[in-house]
Amino acid sequence: MDNASFQFVIFGLAAALVSNFSRSYVWRSIVLFVASIVFLGLLSHDPIAFLPLAGFLLLGYALLFLIEQGWSRAMAWCILAVILVYVWLKKYTFLPEGAFLHFPYFTLGLSYIFFRVLHLIIETGDGAEKRHISLGAYLLYTINFTTFVSGPIQRYDEFAKDQFAVEPIVLGPRTIGLQLERMIRGFFKVNVLAMIFQAMQQDALAQMSQPLALNVKLFSAFRLIIIYPLFLYANFSGYIDIVIALARLMRVRLPENFDRPFSASSFLDFWNRWHITLSTWLKTYVYNPLLIALMRRIDSTSMEPVLGVFCFFVTFFLIGVWHGRTSEFVIFGVLQGGGISINKIWQLVLTSGLGRKGYKALAKNPAYIAFGRGLTFSWFAFTLFWFWANWKQIDTVFSALSVVDWLGVWLAVWLTAMVILALWEFVRAKLLSITAFGAPVFTSRYARVVYASALGLGAFVITVLLNQPAPDIVYKAF
Amino acid sequence: MSQLNANNLGNTKEARLPRRDWILLPMLGLMTIALMVGSIRLVSVRMFAAAKITPRDCIVTNDPSTGFRAIPNSVCREKLPESQLIEYRFNSCGHRAGMECGSKPLGTYRIVMVGSSMGLGYSVAREKTFAALLPAELATLCQRKIELYNESMAGRPPRIVARRFSEVLAAKPDLVLWQLTSWDIELAASVLPEHDSPQAVNRAPSLPGETPGLLALVSSRVKVVFAMKRPLDGIAEVISHAQADSSVTNTALPLLHFLYESQSQYVKSYLMLPDHEAGFLKAQPSAEWQTHLAEFDMYATEIEAQCKAAGVPLVVVLLPNRMQVAMISMGDWPAGYDPYKLDDEVRSVITGHGGTFIDILPAFRNIPNPEQHYFPVDGHPNADGHRIISGLLAKALTSGAVPSLSVGQQQPNTQGEQGR
Repeated sequence: MDNASFQFVIFGLAAALVSNFSRSYVWRSIVLFVASIVFLGLLSHDPIAFLPLAGFLLLGYALLFLIEQGWSRAMAWCILAVILVYVWLKKYTFLPEGAFLHFPYFTLGLSYIFFRVLHLIIETGDGAEKRHISLGAYLLYTINFTTFVSGPIQRYDEFAKDQFAVEPIVLGPRTIGLQLERMIRGFFKVNVLAMIFQAMQQDALAQMSQPLALNVKLFSAFRLIIIYPLFLYANFSGYIDIVIALARLMRVRLPENFDRPFSASSFLDFWNRWHITLSTWLKTYVYNPLLIALMRRIDSTSMEPVLGVFCFFVTFFLIGVWHGRTSEFVIFGVLQGGGISINKIWQLVLTSGLGRKGYKALAKNPAYIAFGRGLTFSWFAFTLFWFWANWKQIDTVFSALSVVDWLGVWLAVWLTAMVILALWEFVRAKLLSITAFGAPVFTSRYARVVYASALGLGAFVITVLLNQPAPDIVYKAF
Repeated sequence: MSQLNANNLGNTKEARLPRRDWILLPMLGLMTIALMVGSIRLVSVRMFAAAKITPRDCIVTNDPSTGFRAIPNSVCREKLPESQLIEYRFNSCGHRAGMECGSKPLGTYRIVMVGSSMGLGYSVAREKTFAALLPAELATLCQRKIELYNESMAGRPPRIVARRFSEVLAAKPDLVLWQLTSWDIELAASVLPEHDSPQAVNRAPSLPGETPGLLALVSSRVKVVFAMKRPLDGIAEVISHAQADSSVTNTALPLLHFLYESQSQYVKSYLMLPDHEAGFLKAQPSAEWQTHLAEFDMYATEIEAQCKAAGVPLVVVLLPNRMQVAMISMGDWPAGYDPYKLDDEVRSVITGHGGTFIDILPAFRNIPNPEQHYFPVDGHPNADGHRIISGLLAKALTSGAVPSLSVGQQQPNTQGEQGR
């Protein structure tokens, strides 16, 4: 149930169906709450395993209640307490082993609850207008089964606006059709595309340690680099497609988490399109406050760009570190922060060299965009080694080829990504330019029915034939 | 409509769907599905055609007194979906031996091989089987004249091998080579495998004309779902049973063939199979597999006793299936599994009674992607696989395990721990 399985989709559709028996927000909230509790119950049958999670939720609500009662000066301490308890429960390796709880307990979804709880505490503490969040609303927001496993990280006001609306948002045949099509697309992405990409990546990984000819190993290395970002995208965005569609059928609009990330022409642009809700959260609650705080202390206009670069580094370093508890993720964070910072410095240098107009003209140049797109993809693929591999695997992979061989492989990845992604953008634009009755043919409901039927059949048949559990959602581990 | 705005229809009143769309859209969906199924079927027929004639015309499969046996002097041809058209020519004794039965030529060292489908060279032209290649390799290594008389027969488990062992000894062998696979251990006590084991039917090579199509498979599974009181269980049922059905599904074959070409995907899928199929890979065999091993022990004892009485050395080898070589090649497998486990068990049985066991499994660690030398869905080795097996057998047989075939003074490779 904690993956994009048939069971999860059917469970979600059943919950959506029952939820729509009445338009009353009370009924819809009861259904969402019961469905979320049942969902948790299906994930673990041991009530003891839920105790730390329940404790974390109660701590969050208690702190929120304190702030609502006027203890907003204690907000920093509240945030610190939430962070410390989160780090402790997640067993970050820099803490002593003896400090951890030594019984198996449930941490699935904890990261996403952590973001929601912090968001509530900060917004309530900063809030100009006073508001009270009931325990029921708090629980609905934090353990909502559609966003529990891997997000997206929704703001409370957006959630409340739809969930507690007296007049719920419209749900007609067109919307239902769109959501069903999206659900099928998501199911196909996770259960077929991601599964195939994962198999290709694992085969390539196995080949790196086998006695093979150099040309075969070079091709394995090439596949190893290029496949993982595609797998991760299909796996994560597919799951997000399913939950966004399920939530919409329950008359709640979840925020988008992806916006064609491999179309990004720079690493800065990439993080505006990849895991959008996470990067937005960190920009809102880390980048902006940090930049403001630093600018208050260092009152120099010339230092502003430097401070901006520094804040970018810290923000995206934290994004990297958030993904895992081990030292590999520290490197992943450094590479994310480093990539963003270098990208920002590059922009600043070009702007000062070419002038604003000159830089804008360059940024619109198709060759420059294609070049940047290829580089962004290659850099992201490179950083992902510290995301999916442990040190032993990293050592095995990198020692399988010489430095010169690796440089050649990276160059090949860059050029291939540049050409393929440019071609894809071109083909996509051409296809979308084919219109009928003033709208693109390929996004019409007729086209959607055709490819939803094809993808649905393909996903169903392959899932049945392969006889294996639905692939895990990578981001549920974080 | 982009992904972003498709979700944000918000509070605006939704326009009604035109009436024609209530008919047109489902029709479009159905047409797409029909077109896809038709296309896959077409690809299946073009790329994975199976001939209408089968080796069953040459094999008696319903005589419990003899087990499966070939009709003497018969010739059949078969084209499995994944293989070429293969001829099966049986001599006057009903063996696919490539020679007539009878006494061996003077001065020739004769190996008689027994076993099941892998030894027979199922789905491979006889001259490309390891049974045909091995004598020449051995002759080169040992510098002596060697012939291999192949008495292997598809669907012949150890019980029947033991029962008909007098035929093996009648061929006056200098050495008996008994080739085993996990299938032989699973069905050790069987007489007519297809009749004795319903599961074995599903794993037996599919016969053209007897296979349900993809639609039949899917529809039968959908019926299961709707027949269930709990739909979630129904879906789990569909998924858990699909593998068995899929192995006999012609239309599904191109999909499975493509998916199983991936080593990791194949390993993942195989480990999902029920215990009677994948249980031999478990580090701790189940009670069912322990029973199979005990049954195998019984027939191995009988065969070894007959060899001892006749003064003929018996050499046993376990040939790995596609899954075993994939796992060995990866060098890493999930906890609780061990691709060498069955090898160890069989060696223990054979050496326990004083027989000789040669171990070729560890050598697959040094062969890149060895599973590519097997038919992905059918699971038997292809011509390349037979060539590799022949090379490994020749090396193992001449490295000291069999004194009469030894080259130099190398240590016998009978313990099989090296190179794991």
